[in-house]
Amino acid sequence: MNEPVVELDGITKRFGDVVANDRVELTVDRGSVHVLLGENGAGKTTLMNVLYGLYEPNEGEIRIDGTPREFDSPRDAIDAGIGMIHQHFMLVDPMTVADNVVLGNEPRSRLGFTVDREAAREAVTDLTARYGFDVEPDAVVEDLSVGVQQRVEILKALYRGADILILDEPTAVLTPQEVEELFDIFDELTDQGKTIIFITHKLGEALGVADAITVLRDGETVGTVDTSTTSKRELAELMVGREVLLDVEKPPSSPGDVGLEVSDLTVTDDRGVDQVSSLDFQIREGEVFGIAGVDGNGQSELVEAITGLDVPDEGRVYFDGADVTTDSRRDRIEQGMAYIPEDRQHRGLVMDFELLQNGLLGSQHDPDFAPGGRIDWATLRQHVEDIIADYDVRPPNPDATAKSLSGGNQQKLVAGREFERDPRVVVASHPTRGLDVGSVEFVQEKLVELRNEGKAVLLVSSKLDEVQQLSDRLGVMYEGAFTDVVDPDDVTEEQLGLLMAGQDADGVTSVPAGDFEAEAEVGR
Amino acid sequence: MAVARSREVTTMNRKAIALVVVAGVALAGLVSVAFFPAGSIAAVVAVVDANYLGAALRLTVPIAFAALGGIFAEKSGVINIGLEGLLIIAAFVGIATTYTVGGGQAAVWIGFAAAVLASTLFALLFAVVTIEFKADQIIAGLAVWLIALGLGPFTARVIWGTVNSPSVPTLNDWTVPVLSEIPWVGPVLFDANPTVYMLLVAVPLSWYALNRTAFGYRVRASGENPRALDTAGVNVSLVRYKSVLISGVFSGIGGAGLALGQVGQFIGSGQTMVGGRGWIGITAYLFGNYNPIATFGASFLFAALDALQIRIQQIPGLDLPGSLVRIVPFVIVIVVLALIGKTRLPSAAGEHYDSDED
Amino acid sequence: MNASDLPSSVRRLLGSLVDASVRERIAISVAALFASLLVGAVVIMAAGLVATCKEPFLALGGSSFCYDPWEVYYQLFVSPFLNDFNTALMLKETTLLLFTGLAVAVAFRAGLFNIGAQGQLVFGALGSALAVLWGAAFVPTGVVGSLVLIPFGLVVGAVVGGLYGAVPGLLKAYADANEVITTIMLNFVATNVAFYLVSTYFKDPASQSVETKSVPAVAQLKPVLGRFESTSFSVWALLTGLALVVVIYYLLFHTSFGYDMRISGIQPAAAAYGGVDAERLVVGSMVLSGALSGLAGAVYVLMVLGRWRTGIPAVGFDGITVSILASNNPLGVVPAAFLFGILKSGSLSISFALGVPKQLVGVLRGLIILFVAMPEFFRMVGLKLGVGDRQPVATDGGRPVEGGDDDE
Repeated sequence: MNEPVVELDGITKRFGDVVANDRVELTVDRGSVHVLLGENGAGKTTLMNVLYGLYEPNEGEIRIDGTPREFDSPRDAIDAGIGMIHQHFMLVDPMTVADNVVLGNEPRSRLGFTVDREAAREAVTDLTARYGFDVEPDAVVEDLSVGVQQRVEILKALYRGADILILDEPTAVLTPQEVEELFDIFDELTDQGKTIIFITHKLGEALGVADAITVLRDGETVGTVDTSTTSKRELAELMVGREVLLDVEKPPSSPGDVGLEVSDLTVTDDRGVDQVSSLDFQIREGEVFGIAGVDGNGQSELVEAITGLDVPDEGRVYFDGADVTTDSRRDRIEQGMAYIPEDRQHRGLVMDFELLQNGLLGSQHDPDFAPGGRIDWATLRQHVEDIIADYDVRPPNPDATAKSLSGGNQQKLVAGREFERDPRVVVASHPTRGLDVGSVEFVQEKLVELRNEGKAVLLVSSKLDEVQQLSDRLGVMYEGAFTDVVDPDDVTEEQLGLLMAGQDADGVTSVPAGDFEAEAEVGR
Repeated sequence: MAVARSREVTTMNRKAIALVVVAGVALAGLVSVAFFPAGSIAAVVAVVDANYLGAALRLTVPIAFAALGGIFAEKSGVINIGLEGLLIIAAFVGIATTYTVGGGQAAVWIGFAAAVLASTLFALLFAVVTIEFKADQIIAGLAVWLIALGLGPFTARVIWGTVNSPSVPTLNDWTVPVLSEIPWVGPVLFDANPTVYMLLVAVPLSWYALNRTAFGYRVRASGENPRALDTAGVNVSLVRYKSVLISGVFSGIGGAGLALGQVGQFIGSGQTMVGGRGWIGITAYLFGNYNPIATFGASFLFAALDALQIRIQQIPGLDLPGSLVRIVPFVIVIVVLALIGKTRLPSAAGEHYDSDED
Repeated sequence: MNASDLPSSVRRLLGSLVDASVRERIAISVAALFASLLVGAVVIMAAGLVATCKEPFLALGGSSFCYDPWEVYYQLFVSPFLNDFNTALMLKETTLLLFTGLAVAVAFRAGLFNIGAQGQLVFGALGSALAVLWGAAFVPTGVVGSLVLIPFGLVVGAVVGGLYGAVPGLLKAYADANEVITTIMLNFVATNVAFYLVSTYFKDPASQSVETKSVPAVAQLKPVLGRFESTSFSVWALLTGLALVVVIYYLLFHTSFGYDMRISGIQPAAAAYGGVDAERLVVGSMVLSGALSGLAGAVYVLMVLGRWRTGIPAVGFDGITVSILASNNPLGVVPAAFLFGILKSGSLSISFALGVPKQLVGVLRGLIILFVAMPEFFRMVGLKLGVGDRQPVATDGGRPVEGGDDDE
């Protein structure tokens, strides 16, 4: 089996001054599952885009089956038998599965112009039968679940005769159970002689499925290890270059009054499908309420209804017992809501504005910063300089544009702006997504600090360790509702996985989502 | 959820809205007629005959061709709001060439070919500017319109000394023997201008090309998810170039159809003889939801209104102010846009695409 | 404004003027202008080839060229400064374009493309003319009359223009109708409706053409400077326009409302996050934009014609060019409006002196917009010539690092 099918030799790829890949070495054996492991920004995707012909390397050589190759476009890579399943699917949503699979390589009939749709359908049926997939060729892609869409991507590659499949972070969007199914597909594929390159930053998955693992860090190859002779600990050290001890100090909570309450909340999407259905919970002051779940189970819709970016179809939202369901976003800001949005580059910051002007976002009608509607630049600048100092935003230059900052520093600016408003309620949606280790720790500590100061904190995250460590109570969301609300200290990762998939987990003790009787006495 | 509601309207009730619009137009016609002497009603109703339908179909030509072209461009991800300009250029070049060549039908056909060529070259310019040089599509489209709006009358004055041209011959109607004898249908469909036949062929052909051919697949993918197309090994820029050029060819036929199929003269004052037909074409394909057949229907609706206002003004004793009747199609466009709300544009329409972003 | 924040606001003003991106935009606008003139020269040569004349300036082989581009451009750009009449004409156009340029720029900043400035101007002009004609009966003649009637006419023009601008704003905000198309349609509507109203109800019976009666002399903006005595240019109007530039600049860059407008224009998702009510902002911006266009109409009536007459020149459309050339910056509107004032005045000279059709300026207008729309073109040219070694900025502004920022 030890016959190298892909060899990357000394690959260097630069974007301007940034070196994304620095003399990377990678050798993959035929018929194996080879994991490319590394943190976000380690250069994994760039490397694979080079292999797939999307980027041209500045230096280095690609060899397929021992022959040096140059790929000017994906077409060349496809011809060499390489297929890639991108993290963001390359599917045309309004078209059918069969149409998507054949796109760019359509079987033709009649004069060569017309697509032979029957042949396309058959090709898909043949492939699904051969590899044991369950995909309907006539289904429209936008109606399919993420897991099935991923299989369509794999079908696309197979249809083009790929022998080498590259999968970029394929598990990020899947439930644990869907991940299992994907790994079964891997087995089927390797049994039939296909080679799989699997990009991930999750240690457990890497160990579970790989034959060999190559670790990248800061654009360089740290080493290649055999799965049978390595451990989680060794891999983690290789990945981050130091021992990881992510543990946030958290004193016991002393919850006060109810700060935020969501009652019977329902939000439907464009098609009239419930994204959030009849959700109830309460968060007390001095408490972190976590929401775990696979992305796309209604978390975003819930957060938007709470923060005032969307109006729920049914149900109410209360701050401190006051009904704010129909209050505007601005009203909610003024009533003391801090909000770290899930997408800081689209929502949380105006990317073309300097830090100075970004410091005003949400406070532009606050008399402290804009008395009489005229912006008081001196006060604002002082405030932003304070945030920069207190939250260690780098570079410490209020006149730098937001887009010139790294993700971690952008997030620290957003956090600083929101937290320094002295909020009563804090909503944090995936606050540490895509951040480096240092920034993750910083933001997590800040959230605990706010809780200790007596704020009601809602934390939505798809990182299990994060929600488990930071939350006082933890709701697990699946298809718009809680499968359960649990004590995070009293639940295992496996149990959470089952709950996230919408199943019951034996041996889990539920805790109440809120004390609704007590609230009723307060009177609404 | 206001957004969600309007989108539901878009997808679910489009046909209902079309019916409402048609009914509304009919009602408005009746009401306005009711204000005038009873004899006028008969006069207005009498307007709607085969002759009228034939005229409406002729007026559909420039609108529908511009709209069909717009569909290809926008489906591929390039919003071409310069259609009005392409019509102007085609109309002008068609007349100027015919005038220069002189003579009979041959000269008109040479003018026709020159018009299509000129419009296509302008579309090529637009394609280079938006695809190669990543210009903002809306502003570049506006520029195409303004350049044509200046260039037509400018050159007209250079050649003829005024912004209007002298009259030139137009394309003779083609009469299909026997079939043209069929009452109603015959004179409308089988005794018509060649450009009308072209349109009647182009509409189903466009539908087929978009929905059944490999090229159509690629056009749609290029507008929805260009990266999907790129990673499938297809050159996105090439697909977009072809699509924009198709919009140039179609607009060329449309503009030549207006100039050489009907008017026989270039009129360069104000908004020129094209008078907003390109803009109405854009609305027509939005209203038709990028479906060539439905777009043809919408174009015909607008053209029929236009034809109606011309006819109504000719009815003796019916003293409707022309300036008010003229705005009817524009008002309808606004009402239609407000009713259908936001059409679902192709996801990547209006965006540049770079295959290698270093 | 207290003393302590003065230095910072001055610093900001200077900062934004010499900021790298602003410098680049100015460079692009200037380059676009020259590129347009270059292409325009080719158009002039080609036109000269087609035209017939007695004394061609150049004969090559069998072909003769009637127009000398150099001479055309000389007339175009220099003649406006050669005599008072031309200068007044240029300043008159500049004044009108200041208003419409600002109108389009304000909407653009809020992310709205107001192609309807022309229609708003037509209605603003009509409203202003009718209001002044009506009001003239109630006020005394003399200075008092002017002090009442002129502001009254301007305000009514602005209100009418603002109301008409509200229409596409409301349609966009509450019915999701694309403002590019609705404003174009509303232009056609305005022209025809105004024509109908004047020809049917407000026509000057003594006149052959479709126009209102002339507003009384006290309501007309008069040339103040002696040298412009018999022209239709008033320094007061120019000064009002320049004052508005400052006001709009301050509004956009130093007030909460301006901040709301700018974030809505540049990043609507962030605006919603920051508590901006998108619907109200759209309507508000369109009203403001329409009011500025309406004001242009009022100035046109009170300064230029003294009445409303059909066939109002396309000052509203030119406002689009002015705004785009100015990168939608109110301060940039001043030089851009000045440039087009020169072109307008010069276009009459080329027509007069050289027989080159004045529509040439329309072609140049389109070319300028086309070139301004493609900064990438100039970056490439710049790189080829060795100027500007910068990497082009990614359109999404993101750093081209693996997986962007959002991967998990």
